[in-house]
Amino acid sequence: MLDTPIKLNDVSLKYRDFTALDNVSFEVAAGQTMALLGHNGAGKSSLIKIILGLISPTSGAVKVMGVNATSGKGKREVNLGYLPEDVSFYNKLTGLEVLSYFAALKGVSRSRVTSLIEEFGLEYAQDRQLKTYSKGMKQRLGVAQAILSEPNILLLDEPTVGLDPQASQFLYGKINQLKYAGCAVVISTHELSLVESQLDRALIMSKGRRLALGSCYELRSASPLHTTINFSGLTKQVSGNAYLRQFYRDGLLHFRGEQKAELIQHLVSQCQIFDFELKEPRLEDIYHELMGQESHSQAEQL
Amino acid sequence: MNIHRPRSPIFIIAYKEICDSSRNRWLAFMGCMFLLLSLSVSFAGSAVTGSLYLPELDSLMSSLSTISVFIIPLAAILLCYDSFVGEEESGTLLLLLSYPLTRSQIIFGKLLGHITVMLVATGFAFGLTAALLLLVGEQYHSGELVMAFAQFLLSSNLLALTFILLSYIVSLKCTEKAKAIGCLLLLWFLFVLIYDLLLLTLLVSDFSFANQLLINVLIAMSPTDLYRAINLVAIEGEGANSLAMIVSTDWGLSAMYLLFLLWIVVLTFISHRIFKGKPL
Repeated sequence: MLDTPIKLNDVSLKYRDFTALDNVSFEVAAGQTMALLGHNGAGKSSLIKIILGLISPTSGAVKVMGVNATSGKGKREVNLGYLPEDVSFYNKLTGLEVLSYFAALKGVSRSRVTSLIEEFGLEYAQDRQLKTYSKGMKQRLGVAQAILSEPNILLLDEPTVGLDPQASQFLYGKINQLKYAGCAVVISTHELSLVESQLDRALIMSKGRRLALGSCYELRSASPLHTTINFSGLTKQVSGNAYLRQFYRDGLLHFRGEQKAELIQHLVSQCQIFDFELKEPRLEDIYHELMGQESHSQAEQL
Repeated sequence: MNIHRPRSPIFIIAYKEICDSSRNRWLAFMGCMFLLLSLSVSFAGSAVTGSLYLPELDSLMSSLSTISVFIIPLAAILLCYDSFVGEEESGTLLLLLSYPLTRSQIIFGKLLGHITVMLVATGFAFGLTAALLLLVGEQYHSGELVMAFAQFLLSSNLLALTFILLSYIVSLKCTEKAKAIGCLLLLWFLFVLIYDLLLLTLLVSDFSFANQLLINVLIAMSPTDLYRAINLVAIEGEGANSLAMIVSTDWGLSAMYLLFLLWIVVLTFISHRIFKGKPL
């Protein structure tokens, strides 16, 4: 298996005078989950379609499992799973028929279909028409469809939209199983709080441009947003500690991500603390901060 | 994992379309509709004259084709109007395109599935009618009757194929199912009623410019008129009207079938081109 199944280098996509993607580059390694984050129209779906080989970029290089995705050979040579956003399948067919149909198109065995139906807890409804399925059941069927061939690459567009927390957790559990087996997973989503604990890296986009790329740790470190620490007796400890005073504000210690290790080391060695509360900026906070910066810089340009 | 030796995607897609039509009860509905139509024309068609008798084979086929020219295109349109726009709305078109399939395989799979549905429905209805006529109609020569119905079935399914392909083109161009069905009903209205009426007006008028060649070209330009002409020329009896007389002077039956095939080839090419260039 390739170490880096997905490689995009300076990919741009232009429609006449509209730029859908502007020099976007990223890689997704085997066994890694990458989240594509951005507002509607940021270019997330275009990126997925480019990886799928459904559209060709105006410029740049796209390699999927070492194959040039723009050559059209990609989807025939690459074992890839995909779940489009809000797919409703064929309402008159049963769950088993739908999954068997897609399995036949991929040349996947009937036994795999049966085992997936069981694995996703759909055996009780397998002979019911899809029009009787709930949103969660359809989404489970959709993910089962995407992983039919145990793909090397899994592309999911809003996989958990409209699902209850339990159903979302179940789907992420299944996705993680594949990830641990070495699958490269790309998830496009707006549900930042949900995806934060699942991703290895995130690409934050706005209007076709890359705003940030990295792990949650890297994004936090690069963010101007502060992490805070609180513990009992903090004010007393700060009064006699010049090092801590520089971080002290409003009853808390405020510091940036890259200062965390040093500060915690200082607290452990110099202060008598038994417990502390650490609040790091969430992915959602970093996202909003980046979006705010972006709109501010655009307003300045105008 | 256990990977099967894959069947051709064309057959897999065709089979799914047949299952879909059967589950939608389209197959049963169309079969019953065609059966009702052919039985009433065959066994009760003479009621308007005040007595009940089995018509001559020529006039029976003429009556059947006159009614089928309305019903068969409509059935094909209702079967296929959402073939692409429906899949696009439900998100499955994008999903299918992410599979290791070519767009040609998708279009030919759908075409094979839909024409099989039409063949089964028309074959059941008109085949059963022919069998009943053979059983009860002593005046019919079995060979002639079978040949007449076989010819009628062939031309009816060519007409169905033409309208299936027209439905694909509209379905590929439209962004909503409602728009697609609206456009197709308008096309049906134009081809089946308006164009036909204009052509007949031209035939009965004695315009000097309406020479033989022009009329033949005008007939060839509409699949419904080509269908009428094929059936009327094939009858070559008392049922044949002016349309058949005019066409038969210049073109034989095989030439008209070739023209029908040309329609199908051109429409297949156009729908294929549109699908290939369809933005996603």
